[in-house]
Amino acid sequence: MVLGAAIFLLNAWLKFLKGERSQTFFKLIASNLIWLGIGFFSLFPNATHSVSQYLGFGESLNTFIFIGFVLVFAILFKIVNILERTERNISEIVRKEALSQIIK
Amino acid sequence: MEKLSKKIFIIIPAFNEATVISAVLREIKVAGYQNIIVIDDGSDDDTCAKAQQEVGVVALKHFLNRGKGAAAKTGIEAAKMLGAEVVVTIDGDGQHNPADIAKMLELIRQGNDVVLGSRLQNPQGMPLWKIVANHFGNFCTWAIYGLWVTDSQSGFRAYSKKAIKSIETKTDRYEYDSEVIREIHRNKLKFTETPIEVRYTKYSMSKVHKMNLKNGLKTLIKMAISG
Repeated sequence: MVLGAAIFLLNAWLKFLKGERSQTFFKLIASNLIWLGIGFFSLFPNATHSVSQYLGFGESLNTFIFIGFVLVFAILFKIVNILERTERNISEIVRKEALSQIIK
Repeated sequence: MEKLSKKIFIIIPAFNEATVISAVLREIKVAGYQNIIVIDDGSDDDTCAKAQQEVGVVALKHFLNRGKGAAAKTGIEAAKMLGAEVVVTIDGDGQHNPADIAKMLELIRQGNDVVLGSRLQNPQGMPLWKIVANHFGNFCTWAIYGLWVTDSQSGFRAYSKKAIKSIETKTDRYEYDSEVIREIHRNKLKFTETPIEVRYTKYSMSKVHKMNLKNGLKTLIKMAISG
């Protein structure tokens, strides 16, 4: 898990340093947070217990898994909304271009 | 109906139908309808060019494939621009018989806002798996959109001016047909169903981009999301 996290992190940094358009600064920060987090809790699994107690939850790992699922679903939902809006916009552009053929 | 003949538009969404589109257009013209709009939904072949060769046909082309629903919507918008009072949508693969248009128009004349062509009211020649799939599609359409019809997936429909103005759809692909059912329910449009003939030819059954299990599942998911 730690090795995997390290590989993904290194890949993200390499893409950013090469200046690849797909790797923005925001994506780099997000990648760091996610993969460093996964790596840290893989190395120090008991740390989840401390954080969970601090937050006032019960079983530590389940708490983080639960939070993780909630975050993933929230992000997925947002992405679906964005995709739907984009698809509608594309269709509108294609429609307007097609209808302009009538005027010609 | 003669008074309205100049205002009746036949809309044909078409995707890669170069093989049959000319024959479909001629058959519609022989049936007595001259205002025809073909929307080529980003075909790879020369569907649009073939349609343009037919005299009097308005042939428009989507520069990207957006789906049957998007093409139908473009066609209806085009018909509105050209002053349509009644619109009939019909598939471009020759499965529908233009002879059925007359009875749909008569039902519009009798005061209906939407006439839905129903294959299940006349399932002769319809493969069994399609009948089963249709029933399932009808059930899902009822469960999600609240209106029971006998053929929620038929593209052979007629719309009055009121229906053309009030129906607002957002979906682009096969889920469009079900979304129209939702709009009928939402706008409390007066609708009826009529049996239509469907011709299952070797050509139409061999088409790659048609409703099958995979597309059906995708349609169901999109219906659930668009709610």
